[in-house]
Amino acid sequence: MASTPQMTGVLPPTTKPAELEYGGDEVSALVLDPGTGTTRCGFAGEDTPKTCVPTYYGIIPDPEDQKYFGKLKIGENPINSVVDGMEIRNPMSDGVVENWEVATEIWRHCIEYRLSSRVEEHPLLVTEPIWNPLKKREKTTEIVFEDFNAPAYFLVKSAVCESFANSKPSALVVDMGHAYTSVTPIIDGIPLRKGSERTPLAGQHLNNQLRHQFGELGIRMAPWLTLKSKSPYTDLATAPPLRTKDFGFEPHQSFLDLQQDRFIHEFKECVSETWPEAKTFPADINNLPDNFRGIADKAFEFPDGYQRRFGIDRFLAPESLFNPSVSPKALTGDLPKGIAEMIKDSIDHLDADIRANMLNNIVVVGGTSLLYRINERLNHELMTMFPGPRVKIHSPGQIPERKYSAWLGGSILASCGAFHQLWISKQEYDEVGANIIERRAK
Amino acid sequence: MVGPGFRDDHILLIAPGSKSTLAQLGLPESFTPAKLRFPTRMFPGLEEGQYLPNKVHELKEGEEMLLRNGEVMTAGPNGKPLKKRKVDSASKPSTTTQTSTDGAAKSADTTMADATDGREANGEEGGDEDEEMNGTKGEGSTSRLFYEDDDDEEGAVWCMDQGRIVNWEAFFALLLHVHETLNPTFHTPILMISQPCWTCTDKERICQFIFEKLKTPGFGMMDAAAAINSAYNVQHSLVIDVGYEKTDITALIDWNIQEVNRTTIPFGGHSMNQHLQKLLPGLSEDEVEQLKRSNICEILPAGVPIPGEEEADRDTVMRPPEPTTIGMGGVAQPKSLDEEGDEEEDEGVTNIAAIVASGKTQEYLAKKEKEKADKKAGLAAGEKRLPNYKRENNSFLYVEKVQDAVVGNGQDLTEVPEGERMDVDVAPSTTEEPKLVEEAPAATGSDGSLPPPSEENRPEVVKTDADNSKPAPEAEPSKGGPSLMESMFSATQDDDDAKRAQEKALRREEKKRQEAAQSGERRREIEVGTERFKVAEGGILEAIADAAHRVVSSADNYNMRSECWNSLIIAGNGSRVKGFKDALLNTIISKYQVSPSSGTIFTSELPSNIPTPSGTGTNTPQPSSFNSQPNALLLQAAANNAALAAAGQHHLSIPQPNQGPSSIKVAKIPEYFPEWKDHGFEECMFLGAQLGAKIYFVTDQGVSKGFVTRADYNSQGPQAIHNI
Repeated sequence: MASTPQMTGVLPPTTKPAELEYGGDEVSALVLDPGTGTTRCGFAGEDTPKTCVPTYYGIIPDPEDQKYFGKLKIGENPINSVVDGMEIRNPMSDGVVENWEVATEIWRHCIEYRLSSRVEEHPLLVTEPIWNPLKKREKTTEIVFEDFNAPAYFLVKSAVCESFANSKPSALVVDMGHAYTSVTPIIDGIPLRKGSERTPLAGQHLNNQLRHQFGELGIRMAPWLTLKSKSPYTDLATAPPLRTKDFGFEPHQSFLDLQQDRFIHEFKECVSETWPEAKTFPADINNLPDNFRGIADKAFEFPDGYQRRFGIDRFLAPESLFNPSVSPKALTGDLPKGIAEMIKDSIDHLDADIRANMLNNIVVVGGTSLLYRINERLNHELMTMFPGPRVKIHSPGQIPERKYSAWLGGSILASCGAFHQLWISKQEYDEVGANIIERRAK
Repeated sequence: MVGPGFRDDHILLIAPGSKSTLAQLGLPESFTPAKLRFPTRMFPGLEEGQYLPNKVHELKEGEEMLLRNGEVMTAGPNGKPLKKRKVDSASKPSTTTQTSTDGAAKSADTTMADATDGREANGEEGGDEDEEMNGTKGEGSTSRLFYEDDDDEEGAVWCMDQGRIVNWEAFFALLLHVHETLNPTFHTPILMISQPCWTCTDKERICQFIFEKLKTPGFGMMDAAAAINSAYNVQHSLVIDVGYEKTDITALIDWNIQEVNRTTIPFGGHSMNQHLQKLLPGLSEDEVEQLKRSNICEILPAGVPIPGEEEADRDTVMRPPEPTTIGMGGVAQPKSLDEEGDEEEDEGVTNIAAIVASGKTQEYLAKKEKEKADKKAGLAAGEKRLPNYKRENNSFLYVEKVQDAVVGNGQDLTEVPEGERMDVDVAPSTTEEPKLVEEAPAATGSDGSLPPPSEENRPEVVKTDADNSKPAPEAEPSKGGPSLMESMFSATQDDDDAKRAQEKALRREEKKRQEAAQSGERRREIEVGTERFKVAEGGILEAIADAAHRVVSSADNYNMRSECWNSLIIAGNGSRVKGFKDALLNTIISKYQVSPSSGTIFTSELPSNIPTPSGTGTNTPQPSSFNSQPNALLLQAAANNAALAAAGQHHLSIPQPNQGPSSIKVAKIPEYFPEWKDHGFEECMFLGAQLGAKIYFVTDQGVSKGFVTRADYNSQGPQAIHNI
């Protein structure tokens, strides 16, 4: 039943396991953590993944091609070069793999890129989101054994990895990633389906909001790659002509979007800030009350050389994570719940006797959690919702540990001696088939 | 086991690259550029699975083979060459050796199986070969002749492609060849520079080979970027290593490689060749390569217009282009002559960025302008600066050129003899070499328009070549008789669309005839137009700049990003192209540097809970307002403190970075290595390797596990390489 080993003996994330803990295994396992934004891969036992490849891929459509329907461009460099007709796509949908052909290629690229040219020699640990359906789990199993010919394999919920990476056997894991922000309660290393929630209010949402916001402000969002150099802005009111490069063709819109995401990402890092308190964000930022306290402006320079100072409007997009109704770009369909609301929902779904434990062990990880002061906001929200000293947020202080938390947990798991009995071997797969995953790893 | 006391002179350094592999035995008192340079390729041997360092032709009795010098070698009875070229022993210590059948066969044995077999013939020869023609002629057992041809690259197996090892057998054979050429003692540990793209499995394989075949007592690997960084001795850096077919970009923070974010892009010296080739379809590959290496090929600094062209698209943020074309007298025809190359010869180290930054651009341009005018004015100015022995030719040619110049200002290019060439991917390696390099510009510059080979400067060239004791040097098929002819023929044929095709073809035809009878290196001029300034316009600069930006922007340590930008290191032989580094720096600055007027430096750390007199949340853009504030630094300090305090209170907040980079600087070249000064720091990775070897093997003696000892290997196997 226990799909994961006991926490005993798990080292703190920063410590590299000693040789002996490999249990005499000569070949180290690989850990693959596929996400929507990036796919992380590395050797078990190390503290950061060796490689982190964008999951976005480029494709030059070609209906003749039977397998991929085009020429694939995988990896950081190919998708960042201007190629005629290249579209940017993502094999993931809903946080799980949708296009298996391409996903397999991306995984293979990850593994062979810097790790090992011999995929078939290493046991492979793969992470999955908790909402990964059975079909996809079986398909993953099939690919690992059939395509990669791995000698052994295991599939772990990424939330479990994240709690382990933070040395917590039981935790409420809040993973703020690229496509989804998810909340998963983990009790003694076992994820609870009941009480796990997710929302698309995450990194991608922020990108879209900011893109919209910049558009509204009339900012020309020409990405670096399409420019020759910055234009000299002498007067901010009149924009000089863009110094665009002439490629002889028009880059695909999806490519431009991806390139825009690069400076939007920079904006998120350097300028965006989360309003640190719940429910005090001014309703109308264009019409602030007189007694409103001052906000320090932050300047941002766009790739075309345009500089703009952002005041309260730099709080807007992050605010929409907690309060989707303020989104600069109106969301379509049902308004999702804010992140804090979602955490509350999750807690409310849990049995009363574990709520206190969960509230005291909230683990916040994921790239979007690096948004400036977002943890303060979360803390404030939760304190307001659950008054009392019980709420405690744990979040790694090191940036790589936040970004690669799931991978890191996988790395710890796969290198830990007790894990060896859990591997599903190729032989077992051959005997049982893809369904083995459901029997061995729930 | 603590490392057995290794000695300085018993350390073998190997730095494999896609094009050439550098090696050296022993650490000299003062660290030098690599002593030996091997092309990173092998040739399939006579038997399956065998690899030889040189191409071996097999000639049956009576068969003829055209040697590069135009002579014909005929295989006589019993495999004796009937005719072979006389080698002037004074000038060319090539090893034209007649070895016994056994010897020849042995020398051919570079197989893995035969790993430990001595290859005395080749070993000896390896030490003496030079780049010019030579060969080992061995007798076959029957009436066959084996001719070892250094320059023929046909059928060569290149072991690496974009840094990745693509042919392991050949790569190991090469390692073996290097090892045997240097023939180190049994107490010699090996330090290898590893390519960033090598996978862990690759490293294990190499480690296994080194211990099992080369029987070394200690083996270490040093990452190329780490080596470059340690040569520069900077704590944080951004290393851009421009290679042959790829450029590695690595950020180092606190001496540590930022493994996850480093990248390798498929642009390098070769992509510049390809671009030139596209521009100059009339030239052969090798001609293009030499054009790139020559002194006249350069990337003009921003704002200096390509002669005869409108400067519409060479804009910079610094300054509007100068209307200089008229001053150059190059308006008559698009193919204007520009003596840029000549003028630059003494200014190889001109730091354009510095000039631009210092605001003296105008003076600089004016100076250049004046020089150009002088050039035009007559011979005197040009001659002043040239070595004496070239003046005559120069003037002769100049006459010819003047005719051109009046009409079209054509530009000449001399193919520099091989020994003289400015290496781009394969830099000169011996101590003599720096001299050669220095000579090359002079030679090129002045004989920009020499008539066919002048006897005056040939001996000089030959002499330096003679001193040059490279083993298995880079052997490109450039100067070989047959290959040269071929290249010329093909070039002639392809010439149809080139603007001065007819003229060029005629010239070449003529020269070819003149040179036909001559042996040794040939020279001829190829005229190229302004294409030579466009060597880097194929997108390489933008690609590198963009990748560099991505690498630094994804470095996890926010605060160190600006440190990386402030010690940019551009290394690798691809960056030897004149003006490349400055152009790259300019590209990066003009696209990615955030203008300091934005005030980001002083405002971004201000936490919002401190009421500030400025900002009431309005959106008015006010650039540069903060620069004038006298207390900006104080503000920043206060802000930092407040931010820290805030972070302390509210746990978990990682401080927000500034938008960067607000300044980009090139790291200072280390000064205390005189040998490297002349050589150039493009290969400073080898300097780093020597420093590393000194520390790991000699100073440290294995205390801090800088290398794998034999005992480690025995207990852990190839994986031991990952524990260092």
